[in-house]
Amino acid sequence: MAVYKRGYQRYTGPLTGRWTRFMVLPRYAWRRLYEQRLVLLLTMVSFVWPLLCAGFIYLTNHVELLQGLDPEFRSFIQVNGRFFSIFMYVQAGFAVFLAALAGPSLIAPDLSNNALPLYFSRPLTRWSYALARLTVIIGMLSVVTWIPGLLLFGLQVGLAGGWWFVANWTLALAVVIGFLLWLLILGLVAMASSAYVKWRVVAGAVSLAFFFILSGVSAMIDEVFRVNWGHILDPAWAVNRVWCTLLSVDPPEGPGAGASLLSLALFVLLLVLVIERKLRPVEVVR
Amino acid sequence: MNDRSIPVVELEDLKVKLGRREILHGITCRLGVSGTGKAVGLLGPNGAGKSTLILTLLGFLRPSGGTAKILGMDCRHNMGEARSRIGYMPENDSFVGEMTAVTFLRQMAELSGLPPKAALEKAHEVLFHVGLGESRYRELRTYSYGMKQMAKLAQAIVHGPELVVLDEPTNGLDPAARRRMLKLVIDMKEEQGMNVLVCSHLLRDIEQVCDEAVILKDGAIVHHCNLEEERRSNRSFVELEVTGDDRDLRMALPEIGADGVSEGGGRWRIVLPAGVEVEAIWELAERQNLLVRKLTHRRDTLEEIFLKAMGHLSHTPGESATMDVRLET
Repeated sequence: MAVYKRGYQRYTGPLTGRWTRFMVLPRYAWRRLYEQRLVLLLTMVSFVWPLLCAGFIYLTNHVELLQGLDPEFRSFIQVNGRFFSIFMYVQAGFAVFLAALAGPSLIAPDLSNNALPLYFSRPLTRWSYALARLTVIIGMLSVVTWIPGLLLFGLQVGLAGGWWFVANWTLALAVVIGFLLWLLILGLVAMASSAYVKWRVVAGAVSLAFFFILSGVSAMIDEVFRVNWGHILDPAWAVNRVWCTLLSVDPPEGPGAGASLLSLALFVLLLVLVIERKLRPVEVVR
Repeated sequence: MNDRSIPVVELEDLKVKLGRREILHGITCRLGVSGTGKAVGLLGPNGAGKSTLILTLLGFLRPSGGTAKILGMDCRHNMGEARSRIGYMPENDSFVGEMTAVTFLRQMAELSGLPPKAALEKAHEVLFHVGLGESRYRELRTYSYGMKQMAKLAQAIVHGPELVVLDEPTNGLDPAARRRMLKLVIDMKEEQGMNVLVCSHLLRDIEQVCDEAVILKDGAIVHHCNLEEERRSNRSFVELEVTGDDRDLRMALPEIGADGVSEGGGRWRIVLPAGVEVEAIWELAERQNLLVRKLTHRRDTLEEIFLKAMGHLSHTPGESATMDVRLET
């Protein structure tokens, strides 16, 4: 019977499980995000670098194509930790811009339309709402970061053989853990700016400014006080320092991986507190 | 305790603070019975604590003392389960502007635990039910205020909750939309068997749809009455203004089975029992040699109760005769 003829009746059927409910918000958010042309375009552009890297892997595994090249150069082009660190560095940049583009639409529309009471009056806690929003951004950025990274790793294993996997399996782990760490920082920054700034363009600019300003401040501290620990205030630098340790490549000058991890943990804590203050169904004005 | 005897709302010395200010001062009451399809009205002037009470019942505000239970579940500890059985329509605009009504409702239904296919069906069904069927594919931000109110009601009932909490549902609606909204609320309880908790400052709305009413003032319950019994008693109220010596009128009113209270200056509020028509007042006034300057006849019991609760009347006419009004504080 047509819907308009049968009238409204209360639903009395079975209910879905907790995890199915948790994934409702990400599913709807992803659909809305990929309806934005700019997000779709930037996502597609983000695949150019992984494709180039795939071409590079193909070349390194087909020596006959490199016959005419200088032997010194041939020894330089290898798939190792350095290769993956360059791949990750470039993709991390794309991820920053994607997060700035997509992040503002995470929480800002719910806050400006006062939709939080509707969400929280359902079986959805504040933390599961925040986690669902974080899943949106991490899921979306995963498509252009660790997933292509793992595909490149798989391609190299396929072309080079099992021995390469045995010798370098830690690289795959480093790519996944390293990127997830970066995505966590990006996601939280995007959520915090989206929670505090209702205008999307400004919220996007704020999340970009977060990284540029902190990078500038850390460089200034280093210059003024003639030290090198100022880098620890730059989350991008700190994440890069952790990557270097994970990929076993030469680290930049400055504090070690442990100190960088500690500073990142403090950033995460600060951002969580900022988000927690804003994600409330009702605001109590003191 | 079986499901039939569980109160919809059960408050035990409930205290709620916003900042350092105590808004609700130790409220104790039991409202409605779960599964009976009855409506409870929360009445009170602005700042009485109605919305604070609703927000506490939804688990949005933490009580600073006492307990609050909704459908038998504690608002501090069991809200996860309670929320899947509750629908909430907030007072202010609440929606996701960039979504169409169907998508919005489907998402809300899925969040409440409906499988995607059932959620889509219910979203369509309920939008037709509230009169938004033709505009269901329009984005919510393009809706008029009245349409947004209906969309808010639709999202509150899309998952078929046992209890629907409505915060000022007729706010800002034109008379036709208001009538439609009230009809839908009546339908929710009578046809669908849902319990309804309506918070409003409009007496007529509460009287029209509710079976039970609670009047809040300054964060405390000042009256709790059974409107069903009031309706059954079928009394009517008369506002009378006379000139002449009306000192004996109060003693004469029982002659026709009525009761009343003088407000001074020849103004009276009189309760007529069922079966007594207003002509009896005219005849009584004639017998008392009083000149009637104004006579308003209506069947609006709640206003009398409300005015008394607010302290504007010293006595509710006819209270001792037939009304079941309990003072809670």
